[in-house]
Amino acid sequence: MIGHGKAWTRWLGGAAMALALAANPAHADDTLDRGVGSEWSSLDPQVNFDASAGSILADAYEGLVTFDPTGKIIPGAAESWEASADGKTYTFRLREGLKWSNGDPLVAQDFVNGALRTLNPDTISEKGYYFYSTIQVKGASALANAETTDTSVLGITAPDARTVVVEMETPAPHILDIMGYFQLAPLHSPSFDASGAAVFIDPAKVVSNGAYVIREVVPQSHVLLERNPNYWDAANVKIPFVKYHVTEDVGTELKRYQAGEIDITYDIPLADLERLTAETPDEVMVFGSTYVIYYSFNLSHPDLANPDLRRALSLALDREVLEGKIVKAGGVPTLSYAGGFDPDYPAPQIAEASITQPEREALAQELYAKAGFSPDNPLKLSIATTVAEVNIRRAQGAALMWKKVLGAEVELNSMERKAWLDLFYTDDWTIFADNLVGDFAGPETFLSYMRPSAEAGYGWESTAFEAAMDEAAQVPDKAGRYVGLAKAERLLLDDYIFAPMAIEPYRHLVKPNVKGFEPSAAGYHNSQFMTLE
Amino acid sequence: MLRFIGKRLWHGGLTLAALVTLTFFILRLAPGGPFSRNRKISPEVQANIEAAFHLDEPLWMQFGRFVWGVVRFDLGPSTRHRDYSVNDLIASGLPYSLTIGFWAVVIASVVGVALGLAGALRRNSATDHIAGTIGVVGIAIPIFVIGPLFQAFFSLRLGWFPVGGMNDGMRSLVLPVIVLALPNIAYISRLTRTSMIETLRENHVRTARAKGIGARRVLTSHVLTGALLPVIAYLGPATAAIITGSVLIETMFAVPGIGRHFVDAALNRDYPLVMGITLLYGGILIVFNIGTDVVRAILDPRIRNER
Repeated sequence: MIGHGKAWTRWLGGAAMALALAANPAHADDTLDRGVGSEWSSLDPQVNFDASAGSILADAYEGLVTFDPTGKIIPGAAESWEASADGKTYTFRLREGLKWSNGDPLVAQDFVNGALRTLNPDTISEKGYYFYSTIQVKGASALANAETTDTSVLGITAPDARTVVVEMETPAPHILDIMGYFQLAPLHSPSFDASGAAVFIDPAKVVSNGAYVIREVVPQSHVLLERNPNYWDAANVKIPFVKYHVTEDVGTELKRYQAGEIDITYDIPLADLERLTAETPDEVMVFGSTYVIYYSFNLSHPDLANPDLRRALSLALDREVLEGKIVKAGGVPTLSYAGGFDPDYPAPQIAEASITQPEREALAQELYAKAGFSPDNPLKLSIATTVAEVNIRRAQGAALMWKKVLGAEVELNSMERKAWLDLFYTDDWTIFADNLVGDFAGPETFLSYMRPSAEAGYGWESTAFEAAMDEAAQVPDKAGRYVGLAKAERLLLDDYIFAPMAIEPYRHLVKPNVKGFEPSAAGYHNSQFMTLE
Repeated sequence: MLRFIGKRLWHGGLTLAALVTLTFFILRLAPGGPFSRNRKISPEVQANIEAAFHLDEPLWMQFGRFVWGVVRFDLGPSTRHRDYSVNDLIASGLPYSLTIGFWAVVIASVVGVALGLAGALRRNSATDHIAGTIGVVGIAIPIFVIGPLFQAFFSLRLGWFPVGGMNDGMRSLVLPVIVLALPNIAYISRLTRTSMIETLRENHVRTARAKGIGARRVLTSHVLTGALLPVIAYLGPATAAIITGSVLIETMFAVPGIGRHFVDAALNRDYPLVMGITLLYGGILIVFNIGTDVVRAILDPRIRNER
């Protein structure tokens, strides 16, 4: 019994020693410490779907294109590319002498293999939709839906070692936005075939092609990466080590930042945002993301079936006050849905954007009365939202405005995220505090989603919108296509099936000695472009 | 004695079986599933993903699969942490939770019992008042208030310990261990003091004194064994709870233990991970309860002779 007790303490002492030895020797100025918020879900580039793992993978893998600190598309593994006249075929030319981290040559087929693995049903990846929905690569849908296992049907091919050809069903000028590491990372087949998914997490087996290589992975704790000497641009990668730290609690992350344990945070606590912005404006980085927030109206609800009433509800909301004085999370108020992401897009706004807020409110009151509601007979609704603090604040603010301007009685129905997700399809809601994260910083990803054929959950029918979208989808050049998309968005906004609210921001604290971290809606912040001074 | 232990083990096993069965089915009553998040993917792909994790099978079959896995010590794949199996995640997180929990229990027991003894032996002295104050403060102020205060003072002001993470070896352990130990120190010291005072008044102690046994020997062999019984009864389940990882502590100090996994898994409907950790927690709790019973039975013949 006593002997056993000793072994037990020895074991614990051993665990403590292991912790002591695990102290990172590179925790000095040669390491960039970055926060990733909650635990990443997967470091498998063909499976991972979330943003925190995404930033780790951005350092470990490089796609055909990459993104500069501002989010601009620049050549990655491909040094150049060209589109066919009809815009349906893109040909990428790889750089000469590309290598994997283990020294093996990186060839065009590796990119094809990456796409094939993403689409292979055995991979159990959700990311195939980039290839069958975001853009329509030939054969992608058939492979993803297991209609065929013949990999030769795929429209992503490698005619020679340095050429990748992507053939699509319809032209898609936004193809370049999804040719980065997140959607199309190459796959080193020999090591994957030998070790399976361990090649993505086991430092002894990892083979990657990015500016950094994964050196240490501790679940719930951190991922340490080291500069990849075989990266084609290794000479310009300034920071030797990058360490990504998991910190679930955003208050703790702030303290870790203040203590110097983290150089770039994943988020900023809402309670501290205002104070930090005033005290250390140079360190606070708040900028728009590709995440739009809108309040959807249930079109099958007897009252909300009336477009004038939906219009009244949308107009009664003072978005500037809501985001600036109530939510106070850095959200960008918007009267558009797919605008505000790509400055080149001539984004339509709701029709009343040209009049002042008091005028909008007067109009809202008029429409509300016309719909048959009065102080004696108020409209009664509820907002279905998740329990996240920003969402609660916004919903409370909106309910208050509807009460004040219209006299409508709106209550909050807040719930856990998973319950909220499922509620959408039950039809058991009147107003849904909705959001959509775009696949890239452009309008099409948002507008395609609103097609009644793509998302039947809204119960919206509009053949005019579908037709306008179909028409825009045939235009290969971006400017022309944007004109068509704007026309479609006009139709969407005029039906008031939702009230656009705000664009959710990214919130980061960045140490003054970190250079090269800039606002980027797409959210790509590769460490290779940063320096520590 | 063997019979006593056997009986406890049998009851513990039944409890554990009931616990996992209930958890399994109650978990499925919660709205949403592990893959209900993505509205963009095609129904065929969604179906394929669900089938890969056997979510398309009838519930009883999924339960059978789980039980069969438990028998083979295979808790299945995690639905959220796709790179790892549930076994991997527990193996990775448990050592951290155990290490912090072990030291917290050691400190809480030693300091708590010492404070309690000091208070009981010198009632209403300065020591007693100090111990009493620590007790009230430790119980009344919750961890989520003490933790950030300690971080602000010891990490940001003095720079002695890191705010969070496990990157600084032993130094990383100090704050989480102390904050985790504090409420237990408080509780154990109150418990020890009260129990000591009661025991000191007991007949057998008076008899021992009357027989002329020295004060020190009365204390060690007559008072302490009796006085510590309630403390031991408390320590068993408390140890189980502490070493399996405190969600609050692990979240606050960014400790990569399993406590955080538990909450995270429940929120993300990671069924296999929830089941795995429930089984582990339940198992540890039951083992410690049995251990406590055995120790108490050794110290107190009345318990041993219960039928």
